[in-house]
Amino acid sequence: MEAQPTLSFQRSAARQFNNHGAASVRSPPLEDKYPKFTNPQPNFTSGAVGHIFSSSSGMSSDFHFSSVVSHTNLSEKAPFIPQSSGILQSTTLSNYMKESNNSSWCTDSLPDFLDYPQNTPIPSSNLEHSILQSEDLLDYPQNAPIQSSNLEHSIMPSEDFGKQNWQDWTDQLINEDDAMTPDWNDILIDTNLADPEPKMAYHAGGSSTNLMQTQPPIPQSSGETCIPLTPTPCGSGSQSNSKPRMRWTPELHEAFVEAVNKLGGSEKATPKGVLKQMKVEGLTIYHVKSHLQKYRTARYRPEPSSEGPLETKTTSVEDLSSLELKTGLEITEALRLQMEVQKRLHEQLEIQRNLQLRIEEQGRYLQMMFEKQCKSGTDKFTAPSSAELPSLQANPNEPGPDPVTGPSEEGSSMSASGASQPAKRAKVNA
Amino acid sequence: MKFGKRLKQHVEETLPGWRDMYLNYKDLKKLVKMISSSIEYGKSEAEFVYLLNNEIEKFNVFFMEQEEDYIIRHKELQQRIKKVNESEASSQGEYEEEMARIRKDIVDFHGEMVLLVNYSNINYTGMAKILKKYDKRTGGLLRLPFIQKVLEQPFFTTELVSKLVKECETTMDELFPTMMVAVEMKEAATMMAGEGIFRNTVAALMTMKEIRKGSSTKSHFSLPTLNLPDNELIRSFQLNSPIPII
Repeated sequence: MEAQPTLSFQRSAARQFNNHGAASVRSPPLEDKYPKFTNPQPNFTSGAVGHIFSSSSGMSSDFHFSSVVSHTNLSEKAPFIPQSSGILQSTTLSNYMKESNNSSWCTDSLPDFLDYPQNTPIPSSNLEHSILQSEDLLDYPQNAPIQSSNLEHSIMPSEDFGKQNWQDWTDQLINEDDAMTPDWNDILIDTNLADPEPKMAYHAGGSSTNLMQTQPPIPQSSGETCIPLTPTPCGSGSQSNSKPRMRWTPELHEAFVEAVNKLGGSEKATPKGVLKQMKVEGLTIYHVKSHLQKYRTARYRPEPSSEGPLETKTTSVEDLSSLELKTGLEITEALRLQMEVQKRLHEQLEIQRNLQLRIEEQGRYLQMMFEKQCKSGTDKFTAPSSAELPSLQANPNEPGPDPVTGPSEEGSSMSASGASQPAKRAKVNA
Repeated sequence: MKFGKRLKQHVEETLPGWRDMYLNYKDLKKLVKMISSSIEYGKSEAEFVYLLNNEIEKFNVFFMEQEEDYIIRHKELQQRIKKVNESEASSQGEYEEEMARIRKDIVDFHGEMVLLVNYSNINYTGMAKILKKYDKRTGGLLRLPFIQKVLEQPFFTTELVSKLVKECETTMDELFPTMMVAVEMKEAATMMAGEGIFRNTVAALMTMKEIRKGSSTKSHFSLPTLNLPDNELIRSFQLNSPIPII
């Protein structure tokens, strides 16, 4: 199977960026709420990749592979704005697929890719192994002579890497074990960048926050000094700094307001000045400019904003005239009522969201069990530790499926289609 | 086509600027139908994934824009409240007026944020459904891993907006004078409430309820039916609704 996973160097670079950028306080709230999510990860991803390969009869696993089209070198420690992570687009991947295993990995977007020794064919199983097994991945940094053949065929570096010396690159790979190795498992689950703690060492069988499925990739309650950046899934291959999507936080906004006030107010302040004043790494003038614009609009047209609730605007004009007829008490009561309904809606939304998360978590868990069972065979099947079991029993809202024995979509597929499983596995190994 | 219908209804009723930002559920469904009969399986799947990614991108961009706006507006509201409380020059009448305006703005702001959370949720639901359909039709195994990715997208990680919503609620509690309510008040309030953002939130709530009503494919993985305690009250708000919501 010509699976060509790309390593998203952006992530590691972003990690470095976080490293050097600031004291990034990454406190994904979900992490606290759902700690159990971390545990099944390592096995899951390796299993799931095999799973993915089985589902695609060729190239379709592309959606899991990040197309790395960043323009940053790993060696650069400069602030980094990820441009595109993300899912490889079909068109580009189809280009990839046209090349054989032996040929270069050049694509439209990676013209400068260095001339890899392209003659070392990697059997696909080898490829899978080099990617899937977390234990193997760990070995990469430690084995000083990295089997270059394995590596080069397992990684699709970005344009810049193409320009880099091959040796430098392998050296970096060896050195940046902290930053790099978690990415191997992330090949599958393409998360957004600006990832967690740089200190997050990767342990075999253990979990790193990289593997957290529900962790919000953007630190929302982080200190101001860390810029949460979201890469955009690239449209069609490489794009330069088109529109780095940034996610603002209240703290960041506070810093912004402070800076603006120091410069004399929203009218007087210039984007450049504010940028300088804020001293936040990774923030570009583009970000500040658009934010300043919004800020100005919000100040001079307090509630509502220009976009959006045009309805409310027109109705509020009506309201004003009818307001004269109605008493203040009635208005207040209406508002109170409105508030109640909105609160109710929000409550339900939160419950719904939690349920959805749990459903997916359970699905993942079942998937993992499924894979485990398939892989190790029935005799070697070991029951998961209780720590791994997501405890779904506590929640009264829970629909109530038993994770192991309850009839469910995935569950029934597990037990009832024992015959089809070998078929699926066969597909994997084909 | 139940979800599709509900989604369409919702989109029609939602805020004008938001209408283009929802999931193209109908088109994606058509595509899935086409794919199941297509020969070039691999290519079709890639195309499908490509489209889904575009949708995700659309959600993310819109969501983050709105979120940014909300952060700004939230801060501004707090400033306004502070200013009003601190300004000693204004008379009692002016104070009351400004407070009334602030109250209305806060409630509308709160509603808009809740609608954004709703937006996120509906799109997520749509994605989950379309992925399920895809797997069902093509026998593929796209859903599970793909949905994991979706779970981490900015548009689904709505914690910050929820936090702002709760802060609004707290602020409101502080600002609203506690008082007894007569029945006539409630009626008048009901009439007034059928406008603006309130109408949207009521509609959203009803849509949510409808979407979660029992379906043919209800399984252990489906969301339970939504039972709202004050159903009648909420229904009464729909008197002005142009589209009958059953």
